[in-house]
Amino acid sequence: MQLTYLEAIRQGIWEEMDRDPTVFCLGEDIGIYGGAFKVTDGFIDRFGPERVIDTPIAESAIVGAAFGASLTGMRPVAEFQFMDFIGCAFNQISNMVAKTHYLWGAPAPLVLRGPSGGYVHGGPFHSQNPEMWFVHNPGLKVICPATPYDAKGLIKAAIRDNNPCIFFEHKYLYRRIKGEVPTEDYVVPIGKARLAREGRDLSIITYAAMVHTALEAAEILNKDGIDLDILDLRTVSPLDREAIAQTVKKTNKVIILHEHSRTGGLAGEIAAIINEEAFDDLDGPIVRIAGLDSAIPFSPPQEEHYLPQVSDVVREVRRLKAY
Amino acid sequence: MATSKKTKSDATHGSNGRRWRNGSAQTSKPAANSDLRSYSIPDYRLEHPDLTVRQAIEKGKDGAEHVRYEVEGNLNAPVPPIRDSKYLDKKQCIEIYRYMLLNRKMEIGLENLYKQGKVVGGVYFGLGQEACSCASAYALDKDDWFAPMIRNQGALLVRGFGASETMMQYMAKADSPTKGRDGSSHFGDIEKRNMVSPISMLGDLIPVLSGVALGARLQGRNIAALTWIGDGGQSTGVTYEGINFAAVQNLGLVLFVESNLWAYSTPSEMQYRVKDLAERAIGYGIPGVIVDGTDACQVYDAARDAVERAHRGEGPTLIEAKMMRMKGHAIHDAAAYVPKPMFEFWKKRDPIARFENYLVKEKKWLTPTENAELISDVERVIEEEREIAVNSPMPTPESAEGGVFCEDGCHEIKPKYSIPKVKKGTGGFKQTEAAVHLK
Repeated sequence: MQLTYLEAIRQGIWEEMDRDPTVFCLGEDIGIYGGAFKVTDGFIDRFGPERVIDTPIAESAIVGAAFGASLTGMRPVAEFQFMDFIGCAFNQISNMVAKTHYLWGAPAPLVLRGPSGGYVHGGPFHSQNPEMWFVHNPGLKVICPATPYDAKGLIKAAIRDNNPCIFFEHKYLYRRIKGEVPTEDYVVPIGKARLAREGRDLSIITYAAMVHTALEAAEILNKDGIDLDILDLRTVSPLDREAIAQTVKKTNKVIILHEHSRTGGLAGEIAAIINEEAFDDLDGPIVRIAGLDSAIPFSPPQEEHYLPQVSDVVREVRRLKAY
Repeated sequence: MATSKKTKSDATHGSNGRRWRNGSAQTSKPAANSDLRSYSIPDYRLEHPDLTVRQAIEKGKDGAEHVRYEVEGNLNAPVPPIRDSKYLDKKQCIEIYRYMLLNRKMEIGLENLYKQGKVVGGVYFGLGQEACSCASAYALDKDDWFAPMIRNQGALLVRGFGASETMMQYMAKADSPTKGRDGSSHFGDIEKRNMVSPISMLGDLIPVLSGVALGARLQGRNIAALTWIGDGGQSTGVTYEGINFAAVQNLGLVLFVESNLWAYSTPSEMQYRVKDLAERAIGYGIPGVIVDGTDACQVYDAARDAVERAHRGEGPTLIEAKMMRMKGHAIHDAAAYVPKPMFEFWKKRDPIARFENYLVKEKKWLTPTENAELISDVERVIEEEREIAVNSPMPTPESAEGGVFCEDGCHEIKPKYSIPKVKKGTGGFKQTEAAVHLK
């Protein structure tokens, strides 16, 4: 069936709650209200207030309690109303949850999910892409789907995974894209990228909303005979090193595109991986397209300047192609 | 299927299935002036030390000025008797006493190991706090959970860990519960002894233990989840979030606030403004109680009451145990900042000496010979444990690798108590045009 990205996530969590009684949801306003973005709309009627818990505004307690419940064998799905607020739980995630299996052998099968990303004029505290704080933290899986199919498959995989998964749902994509989503049970493997577009001339490695930006740029560039190979990472940690190497070996020129700010961003990490896996296959420097090194401003013209646009991708592709 | 519409008057549960919030259980009868509310916090102590610590400027012999702490109050107050327990019998009292001795002797053993250069890093002590660690843990049932803080090493012994395990942690040995990956009491056991590992940040265990109780409740069990926090540690925001979460969700958190007067070098006077930390319970809407932390019977009784409340599904309890930290923050810290008269005052209130006096002289539940034998036996056990720990090898360098993730079937995760009973409402999956929160 055709579902929006948001509906696909909703269906994924719903199916898991149906099939596994240890799965439950907690977060702010997820019960009767159905969640700020309505991801859990209808859940409390179906699964009851015991499994759909409205919490106080206390992100450290939300994560801590989710972790504690997971120690008794439950599989909590904790929602952050906006992923911008994940910073409020940083210590719990970083020092309690991420390290637990390595230090004392206790698995933490919890999912932390919520809306991230810009292009909706949300301002600096409702538009963030904070995934790098967690990519840099061993012990966490960081997932950023770009399509409804992947969103459903990956949320199911995350819920079934015995490790803490942080699931970033791009809010711009929630209602703006629809895709074919199977009704039968399926999962998308965590840690595996997929090719969003096959091409021969130049690679773009990206994820989440930027996949669609790259696809739009590809249409424009196709008219000039530039054929883009677009790799959708889907999981941002662990990275699919093999897929990254493969696309570079195929085209020999690569652009890494992400919404979050440039310095300390994922592109630096991927560039280092390419250096390790496919240095000899490069015919030009690795190019990064990223957000500016600042907070995300509020006013639409400023936000547009901050965030990567289709025109940025087109320009950089042409430049790298000519190298 | 017809469903009856519940009006507010006949509904017994709030929107999350919980009882209506009814405010603090402590609300007493309205005062004569009905604009004022009053609350009561039970205080089971048989004395109320009134010591206050203040910063003062002292002139040294050289004429230079130094800022020091000085203590005021009745430093000569007599030591009160142990308050008879409502619950403990002779056998149980002796068992608790034995655990306290094991706790003390283990820490003396650790200190010796440190002086022999066998410990990696520092050692933390719960000297003067053994009653608080042991008697509280003793009040738990088998299915309950606990999470010690750094000075609750005695609780580990009560729950079935050997002293060698703590010693190996300190010596960073390969056979330590964390295989060398962390030290001191930073380990856990989710299978048998139901322990959550602490981390170094303070207060974070509180929401976690609340979550443990939540997980158990979803499986149909009301368990008690016991943890401790210091007068310093309770200042953190996560402490607040955790207690409040347990309160609003009615979870069986049993929280001991260990008022041991010093948070590293910071006295309580610079840590909070209320007179007694138990008063915070009013702010959370949960019962609070004050006990003498050097009196094992008082600690046990308050803990047991709280554990039973938790088992009945009545929610969290905050227990403030008053005592003093009798060493520095850790072995490197001589606690020179603590006014000497405070050490003298609290030394007379040593929990083991008090309990020994109670058992041998007051209750005559132990003859002096039996007492001496018990102490010898404890020393023998600690020595055996010490041998085990010392003989364990150091880990290999490569053992630092691996285990970051749970993968390849290393753990099978199952609900600990039972498969949750779930309801299936008649609602179907909603395929709706979702309302967007922002424009």
